[in-house]
Amino acid sequence: MPNFNITISPAQIEYLLKPNTTIIQAYDITNNSDQDINLTTEIISFIPQGNTGSVTYQNNFSDPNISYTLNNSDLILGQPFILKANSKKQLVLKIKTSSTAPLQDSYSTFFVSQVPNQTNVDFPMASGKIGSHILLSVTNTENISTKGSISLFKITPKIKDVFFSQLQFSGEVKNDSNYFLKTSGQITIVKNDQTLKEIKLQPLNVLANYYRQIDCQEISNCTLKGPFWPGRYTATLSFDENLHIPSQSVSFFVFPVSPILFILFLVGIILGFKKFFPKA
Amino acid sequence: MNQMKIKIIFFILFIFIIYDLSSTISLAQSFTSPSYHIDWGNFNMTGGKKTSTNYILTDSVGQNAPGKYNSTGYTVKAGFQYAYDINYKFSFSIDNLDINFGSLTPNIGNTQTNIITVTTPTGHGYEIFTSENSPLTTLDTNATINDTTCDNNDCDQTISGVWTQNNIYGFGFNAIGINSSGVVTDIGTSNYFPNSTYFRQFANRQTNETPQIFMSENNPVINHSAKITYKINISSNQSNGSYQNNINFTAVPKY
Repeated sequence: MPNFNITISPAQIEYLLKPNTTIIQAYDITNNSDQDINLTTEIISFIPQGNTGSVTYQNNFSDPNISYTLNNSDLILGQPFILKANSKKQLVLKIKTSSTAPLQDSYSTFFVSQVPNQTNVDFPMASGKIGSHILLSVTNTENISTKGSISLFKITPKIKDVFFSQLQFSGEVKNDSNYFLKTSGQITIVKNDQTLKEIKLQPLNVLANYYRQIDCQEISNCTLKGPFWPGRYTATLSFDENLHIPSQSVSFFVFPVSPILFILFLVGIILGFKKFFPKA
Repeated sequence: MNQMKIKIIFFILFIFIIYDLSSTISLAQSFTSPSYHIDWGNFNMTGGKKTSTNYILTDSVGQNAPGKYNSTGYTVKAGFQYAYDINYKFSFSIDNLDINFGSLTPNIGNTQTNIITVTTPTGHGYEIFTSENSPLTTLDTNATINDTTCDNNDCDQTISGVWTQNNIYGFGFNAIGINSSGVVTDIGTSNYFPNSTYFRQFANRQTNETPQIFMSENNPVINHSAKITYKINISSNQSNGSYQNNINFTAVPKY
C-alpha cells in the first residue's frame, strides 16, 4: 500500500544575520519507505500561537526582506522531484537578507511535501508534509540585547501537605524585545535561608514580543514530589543576567495537614469507643 | 654510575630522534552528494555513540581545539560533541495513503483507518495539522458529501462533537493516540478528541479554512502514533458516483 515516511534534518535552524548577507543551510531528506515518493519544497512564514511553542500559518504570507532559494544544481524551490525508496537527498537552502531588511526576527518553515497522485483514483487519498523551522534574527550585532518579564509564576496546589502534596511550578515569560530568546534559568527553592533545590529550566525559545510557558529539565511538568518539612518556603524564578528578565519570588507554606487529620481521626475513634463502650 | 647516566641520556636522545623522524598521517573527512563535495578538516581519533544495556555514552577523542569560538559574524562549535546535541531526527509517517471505502451503504457509518507516527529530536515537541483540498466530490457530476456537523450540530474543523447517530450524514474524522501494540493511550490526541465517538471536519482549503492541529505534544517523543478513523455516512438520496478528495497531514516541530 502507498505510504509516506520522511525524515528531515535539522528540525530547526537559528541564525543571526546582518542585512545584505547570504548563508547556506543543508537539509538531509530521507525517504524511509520502500517506495519512491514524489516531493516538492516550499517556505511559509509562521506566527506563534498559544504559549507552548505552537505555530499558525495564515494566507501563506512571506517576508519580502528575506529570500530563499535552493542551491542544488538540479532543483529549484517548488520543483517536484522523486526521492527513491530508502534513499537520502541533500537540499541546500540559500537564505539572503536584503540590504533594507528591518532589524528584527523573521520566522518561517521549510516544508517538504508529497505531491498527491490522484489520477485514476476514485476514493479519498491522504498525503504527508513535514517541516523544519527557520528562526532568523536580522541584526548588526552579534550580542543581541533582549528584555522580558515574568507574566506568571505560581505554585499549586493551594493547600500543601507534608506527605501528600506534589508541588507544581508553572510560569510564563514575556519577551519584550524584537528578537527571540531562550529561557535559560532556574527555579530556586529556599527554606530558612538555605537553598534546598535548584531546578534548571528547559532552554525554550520565546519569540519576539511573545510569551511562552516555562518547562523544567529532568523533572516532568516542573512537579516536585513530597514529603516536605512543614514551614515557610520561597521559590524564585530567575533567568540568566544577559536576558534582562527580572526574577520573581513566591512564598508558600507546607502544613502538616495529614498528620493532624490522622491524630484527629485517632482521637475520634478513642472518644467514640469510650462513649459507646463505657467502663462498667 | 657515570656510565649509567650516559646510557640514560643516550636512550632519551634516541627516543626523541625516533619520534622526530617518524612520519605522521593527518586524517580528514569528506562529505559528498550528487551536487557537492565538502572536505572536512577534522582530526578526531574517534567519536560517537556507545551503548550498553544501561548506558548511552557519547564521546569525542582527539579533537583539535574543541569548544565554542566567537568572532564577528561567526560562531564555531568545534568538536563532535557540539554537533551531537540532537539524538533523534524529525520523522513523520503515514502507513496507508489510500482511504478506499469501497461501496457505501446508506444510513450506516462507513469507516476506514490508517496510522500516523511521529518522532522528534531533543528539545522539541510536535504538532500535526490536517486539511482537505475540498469536500468529497465526484469528478464527473460535482456532487458532494458535505463535512459532518455531528449529532448535535456542534462540530466543525476546530471543535469535535459526538457522531454516532445513523441519520446524521457527512464526512469527518477521529484521531486516537495508540501505543506500538495498537492499545489506546490517548497521548497527543486527548485535547482534540475525548474518545472514539468524537469526530470533526477536515479544514476545507477550497474555502480558505486554515489547517487545524489535531495532535500535539510539548516534549520530545519517539514513535508516537495515532489511529485516524475516517467516517462517511450517506442518506439513501445521495447521488451515485465515485467521491474523492485529498487529505493532507502536516507535521512540524514545536519551536
